[in-house]
Amino acid sequence: MATIDLDTAREELKAFIVEAFLFGDESEAFTGSDSFMGKGIIDSTGVLELISFLEQNYGITVKDEEMVPANLDSIDNLVEYIRRKAG
Amino acid sequence: MKVSDFLIRTAAAFEEKTAAIHLGRSITYGELYRSSAALAERLRQLGLDPGSRAAILFENSIEYLIAYFAVFMAELVAVPLDTSLAPENLNYMLDDSGAKVFMVQGKYRRQLDKILGDNLSLRLVVSDKPIPVADSLPPAEQILDIIEAAGRIPSLARAAASVVEADDAAHELAAIFYTSGSTGEPKGVMLSHRNLVSNTIATVEYLGLKSDDSVLVILPFYYIYGNSLLLTHVACGGHVVIDNRFMYPEVVLDSLEESRVTGFAGVPSTFMMALSKSTLAKRRLADLKYITQAGGAMAPEITRRLMDACPKQKLWIMYGQTEASPRVTYLPPERLTEKLGSIGIPVPGVQVKILDESGSEVPVGEAGEIAVGGPNVMLGYWNQPEATAEVIRDGWLITGDLARCDEDGYIYVVGRKREIIKAAGHRVSAKEIEERILEDAAVAEAAVFGVPDDILGEAIHAVVVLKPGNKMDEKRLQAWCQRGLAAFKVPRVIRFVESLPKYQTGKVNKMQLKEEVAPDSRESAGRS
Repeated sequence: MATIDLDTAREELKAFIVEAFLFGDESEAFTGSDSFMGKGIIDSTGVLELISFLEQNYGITVKDEEMVPANLDSIDNLVEYIRRKAG
Repeated sequence: MKVSDFLIRTAAAFEEKTAAIHLGRSITYGELYRSSAALAERLRQLGLDPGSRAAILFENSIEYLIAYFAVFMAELVAVPLDTSLAPENLNYMLDDSGAKVFMVQGKYRRQLDKILGDNLSLRLVVSDKPIPVADSLPPAEQILDIIEAAGRIPSLARAAASVVEADDAAHELAAIFYTSGSTGEPKGVMLSHRNLVSNTIATVEYLGLKSDDSVLVILPFYYIYGNSLLLTHVACGGHVVIDNRFMYPEVVLDSLEESRVTGFAGVPSTFMMALSKSTLAKRRLADLKYITQAGGAMAPEITRRLMDACPKQKLWIMYGQTEASPRVTYLPPERLTEKLGSIGIPVPGVQVKILDESGSEVPVGEAGEIAVGGPNVMLGYWNQPEATAEVIRDGWLITGDLARCDEDGYIYVVGRKREIIKAAGHRVSAKEIEERILEDAAVAEAAVFGVPDDILGEAIHAVVVLKPGNKMDEKRLQAWCQRGLAAFKVPRVIRFVESLPKYQTGKVNKMQLKEEVAPDSRESAGRS
């Protein structure tokens, strides 16, 4: 498996969140540590779209028990999760 | 008796008992009473006419409970608002209801300008945090400040002594619940104190709820099912555990186990998500005694899977509508296997008839439209007498749901009147096709609807979510449908998606699915 550049992944994830959940409105700022749940950026169906994005773009499989905020609820958490999963 | 009297009676009996828990915070019945009474005193100071409307825009939280009960104590009408709606929709509801008070969670402050629009009717805006409001409005006040500044409030004993019996429940308007509506503007369902009190008592009775019961609430309180969870548990002296994180099912399942609740409530998508995207089946759930399901028909296949995953819990399948406060029927768990697919029998005090087009009752076994009679039938739609007249006839609520009754009096929903697809001259039930699709082991969720078609009249479309790791194509699934259904019922188009769009209540937004395929179509894709 090709090594994932985490800096690139961070930018890709931000772009995906803005496009998929903020309708391209970049003025809705959120930081790397902002909780998607806390800011109301993503709902339950959005989480499934996010998981699909991760699996398709980073070659990882998100297990049911890994669908938790610690892995998915902010850009920082997502990058760290990808780092652990992709080895 | 009024809705807030449930709180007063329970607080008088169980002052120190926990009423609600939310992420490590908790409030006792005594504290909830005093906080609500203090806020009610502030609302009374406004000198509003009884029956004036107070809108509430809060996520499920302890603050929601304080605001909610305060409204009733102040003789006002509660208008709980859907927190997922766009500001323009909320503005419509504020204007439509003529709200004089707006209680809004601080997290919505950025949209406040758009939500309020040109509103000049509001006399008071209350929040849990400091929020800016337009100069044309009085400065917003904070709940905590109001509670701390409150003067003398009636003692619990005195308040409880003035509660009248449930049989004398007030016929006055208590709350307006806006339905998400599948066509046109949302409609404000007017529910009286009698509607809510009678239905709460009936639900407590058939569920057998006691003061040691508790429920994990993931459904919004502004949704009539969520509202019922709250009122039933306050009425019996139990408690609610609030958890707004079902977007992460594992987190909520952890909460379910840690909080040791005796009950859990969901809509069909809750259980489809839990069955396909969580470790539900592996959990012990030692304290959980019962699960309730309402908010739309759940396919028998999903019910079976849920029963397999939770063999130790009683599963109550229930049916209702916002317009019926909401509970109409329930299926006793001991008859679930035998009557799988049924929505059960009428709740205590409610009558159900199944009518043909002329309004006569149909014979046993024949399909007709469900009509509901009883103290739970709404007063009508707010400011919409014509829409009210379409659904309330001679005091009976005509539900728009088609059903048949078996010889034991158990009712089986056949489909929504508006979800009958007229394909190539045949009347086809969307529900029947969804159930067939769900029987394929690879499928997690399915939504079926009709799309205008020049040749067929309506073409049957299906949108499907597969379980993780499964593969399927349109032809294979159509072949599966063909093996179980008449040829004219096989969906012409099957699309696979990662997730179905849903309302905050968890119900599938078929209108959005339909608009994605046929943007100019205005026909209803199903009532929510």
